[in-house]
Amino acid sequence: MNKKRETESFLPLTPAMFHILLALADGEKHGYAILKEVARRTEDKVRLSAGTLYGNLARLESAGLIAESGKRPEVVLDDERRRYYLLTAFGRDVAVAEAERMEEALVQARVKKLFRKPKLA
Amino acid sequence: MEKQSQTLSQRMFRALMRVLPFDFRTNYEGEMEGVFREQQREVKERGGALDALRLWRETIAGIFTMAPREHWQILQDDCRYALRMMRRNVWFTAIAVATLGLGIGANTAIFSVVHAVLLRPLPYTQAQQLIQVRQTEKKVGVDDLSFSVQEIADYRKQNRTLAGLVEYHSMSFTLFGHGEPERVRTGVVSANYFELFGVQPLLGRTLVAEDEKPGAPAVLLLSYEYWKNNFGADADIVGKTFEMNDKVHTVVGVLPPVPQYPDENDVYMATSACPFRSSPMHTENRDMRMMEVFGRLKPGVTVAQAGADMATIAAGLRAAYPKYYPGNVGYAAEASPLKEELTRTARPTLLLLLGAAAFVLLIACANVANLTLSRMARRERELAVRSALGAGRSRLLRQLFTESFLMAMASGLLGLLLAYGSLELLVDFAGRLTPRAREIHLDAGVLLFTLGVALGTSLIFGTLSAVFSRANLTSSLKEGSAGAAGSGRRQSRVSSVLIVGQVAFSFMLLIGAGLVVRSLIKMQHTDAGIVPQRVLAMRTTFNWSKYTDDAASKVVLQKLLERVKAEPGVVSAAVSSRYPFEPEAISDGPEAVSFTFAIDGRALEPGEAPPVSTYAAVSPDYFAALGIPLKAGRLLAETDREKAPLVAVINEAAKRKYWPNEEALGKRMSPDGGQHWGTIVGVVGDVREFGLNHAPVPEFYVPQAQNAQPATLIVRTVAEPRSMARALTRAVHDVDPQTAVTHVLTLEQARYESLASPRVTASLLGIFAGLALVIATAGIGGIMALMVSQRVREIGIRMSLGAAPARILQMVLSRGLLLCGLGIALGMVGAVALRDLVKSLLFEVPATDALTFAGVGLTLLAAAALASYLPARRAAGIDPNEALRAE
Repeated sequence: MNKKRETESFLPLTPAMFHILLALADGEKHGYAILKEVARRTEDKVRLSAGTLYGNLARLESAGLIAESGKRPEVVLDDERRRYYLLTAFGRDVAVAEAERMEEALVQARVKKLFRKPKLA
Repeated sequence: MEKQSQTLSQRMFRALMRVLPFDFRTNYEGEMEGVFREQQREVKERGGALDALRLWRETIAGIFTMAPREHWQILQDDCRYALRMMRRNVWFTAIAVATLGLGIGANTAIFSVVHAVLLRPLPYTQAQQLIQVRQTEKKVGVDDLSFSVQEIADYRKQNRTLAGLVEYHSMSFTLFGHGEPERVRTGVVSANYFELFGVQPLLGRTLVAEDEKPGAPAVLLLSYEYWKNNFGADADIVGKTFEMNDKVHTVVGVLPPVPQYPDENDVYMATSACPFRSSPMHTENRDMRMMEVFGRLKPGVTVAQAGADMATIAAGLRAAYPKYYPGNVGYAAEASPLKEELTRTARPTLLLLLGAAAFVLLIACANVANLTLSRMARRERELAVRSALGAGRSRLLRQLFTESFLMAMASGLLGLLLAYGSLELLVDFAGRLTPRAREIHLDAGVLLFTLGVALGTSLIFGTLSAVFSRANLTSSLKEGSAGAAGSGRRQSRVSSVLIVGQVAFSFMLLIGAGLVVRSLIKMQHTDAGIVPQRVLAMRTTFNWSKYTDDAASKVVLQKLLERVKAEPGVVSAAVSSRYPFEPEAISDGPEAVSFTFAIDGRALEPGEAPPVSTYAAVSPDYFAALGIPLKAGRLLAETDREKAPLVAVINEAAKRKYWPNEEALGKRMSPDGGQHWGTIVGVVGDVREFGLNHAPVPEFYVPQAQNAQPATLIVRTVAEPRSMARALTRAVHDVDPQTAVTHVLTLEQARYESLASPRVTASLLGIFAGLALVIATAGIGGIMALMVSQRVREIGIRMSLGAAPARILQMVLSRGLLLCGLGIALGMVGAVALRDLVKSLLFEVPATDALTFAGVGLTLLAAAALASYLPARRAAGIDPNEALRAE
């Protein structure tokens, strides 16, 4: 009950946040990888800049939705000090709650016949 | 090339990152740069210039949209933390906010006056173009000769620098048709007077050229105050008629609330409606002067150019009319900015008060800085721990500044409230110095000033805390308590410097206040040369139009005196053209009633200035009524009638100046170039007519019967004079019910009122100095207490080595006194250096008055001793065993 209220306090998520959480849903990634994933998945409709990406990462991290992974990159592959981020259990809950919220909105929109073909179904 | 562009865009990106908070940068800068580099590489691979531009645009927009949120986040955190710290140290917070609030309040209050009176432009259109033109006769000490009708015409016609030139004079007339006959102060002005100033009427219209034509229907313009107070702001006032000077006057308009200069008038009329100004006596005589002249500069003309223009015209007049402008008086003309004229008396006092207020704030700042330092000493560990936990240095500084900022804002708010509360008092005070007092408000400019002062203070003591924390953050962690002890010593050195500064500034303020108060006391105890107790003065303004010639007014004055003397309880009664401490005489000064004369048998050297003196037309009992003693010869007598030989009584100042080594009695003098000669029949004691701080000037008393003048009734009574006012008014109305009785004042009141301005100045300075004393004393006490608590161990050791408690007491006391003594020495240097600032406000007290210096020094020492005594007693009571064990 309490936990539910806590997850709901984050809703609705901004599109950028939701996409970042989505990007981390299938494994930990570093910043640039997140950015690339989001662009690919949304066919470039959601374009994150370095600023918006890290602004959101900072907020998600301080709220405990994501965390820094202990994993370090192999030095050979990249000489930059990259950090990897992972989705926390709490972050997953929030992402699920957001998806459910969206779905509910979709159902209602369908009942009101606000669109003909269900695209996400 | 490739490499270069890489570093250039890198540099640009890094520069862009600077808008983000420090903490955020430390955390993410490297990563963000990496991401950006990857993005750039990608764009380059695709090779689109447009893509590159788009990347930059998105990057810049991204950073600028997220930066405020990050800053805001940190500010919120810091504020929350600061508020928690402030709550935890409620006493510290309360004392600091109260101290700073008092300082800021004093500054805000005085600044609101300075802003309204000295800084803001006059509320007239293009006010910087407005000037006052003056004729002077410097060789006989006349800085402001008035203008005659003919002179005004000359200056209007001949000038090349003015877009317009208008005249003004003020008279009192009796207005009928609105309850009792009412004496109204009337400004008589050129038709385009208000147009020249750019004043738009609130109701109706102002004066137009037709109003000024001879024989035009008489019209009145009401001042805002008169309309509001006497007609209840009647919206239908325009078109109403009143009778004045036997003529029907129609109200044509009401003025807006603008400062009226030179005088606050009730109503205004055109020059043609004034029976005096339009009489042949005034229009035909070049030396019948009573008007003042204002002008508006043509665009692009400076005041200096206009002044030169006026001087040229004056030179032309000197050449054309040598009879009216003899070489020995030094006739000339000059122009000065109107704003300067309006604020001349207020400027030195206001600036001095602003300086005093700034001193108070400085002292308050030093005190809070000291408080902060001693608290920092206790917070050192907290800050060190936070720093060790990863808070960056600038993060901590930001935190400290947020704290001092919050405190300063709270103090600013308190200061604003204090200033708001004292506004009414200040308007009243400033009203004695300048007609601009009504413009004093707490407006945007003042709010901005308060904000600026508050921010400045937060910067000052925020920086102090920061400097201190920088020095100690590292040492206290590294060295533990030993480091803290070292920094404690440094801190107490900084504190000592601040205390010495506080005492020095307090000393200077106390000296200023002390000197001004001593001057005030001296003024109050100055013998004015009269016996003011149980004397009543009442201005009696007859309906001029009924007493057109001298003879008629002499008869009615005679009747009036007889009727008043018959009233029971009257000891003696007189009429006089003015009287000592008359408010208007004080504000106009002796010049307004000065005249030049010739002494029989004494020829002037070429270029030598003629004798000059003030005069008053009085009835014989004037001297008895006021208690002015006869020194030689006789007083004026009933026999000195119109047809009798002309006589005059002079005061001792006139005797000293013009007949220093010979008998004055029997000498003859002429005020009109030898047409009439009067004989001096008596010498009376000097009177400080123009204020207690104004040395007596030469004076001629001439019989009212030989020189009818507008009169004030002076009555010496048996009982309290105010209780007689009603009966005396009735007596005046018995003689002529159309007489307006105004300005009913006892001489003691007039004397008291004449000191109002120095009294308020002294009170304000006194309040500021008192604040400074309290703050500085509290500061000394606080620092001595801190010193004792920091040195408990040392004191314990001393005591266990045999030092007696009395010795410890003496040690602490002498340290407090030493700091105070150093402060006094510095303050003395400052007070001597600044002595010229206060000189203009002093009366018979030198700016380096030894008594004041000694008194203030002793007061401060006593305060310091008192403040150090409590901590000293605590130190003397320390148990050496416990002190050593505690460490």
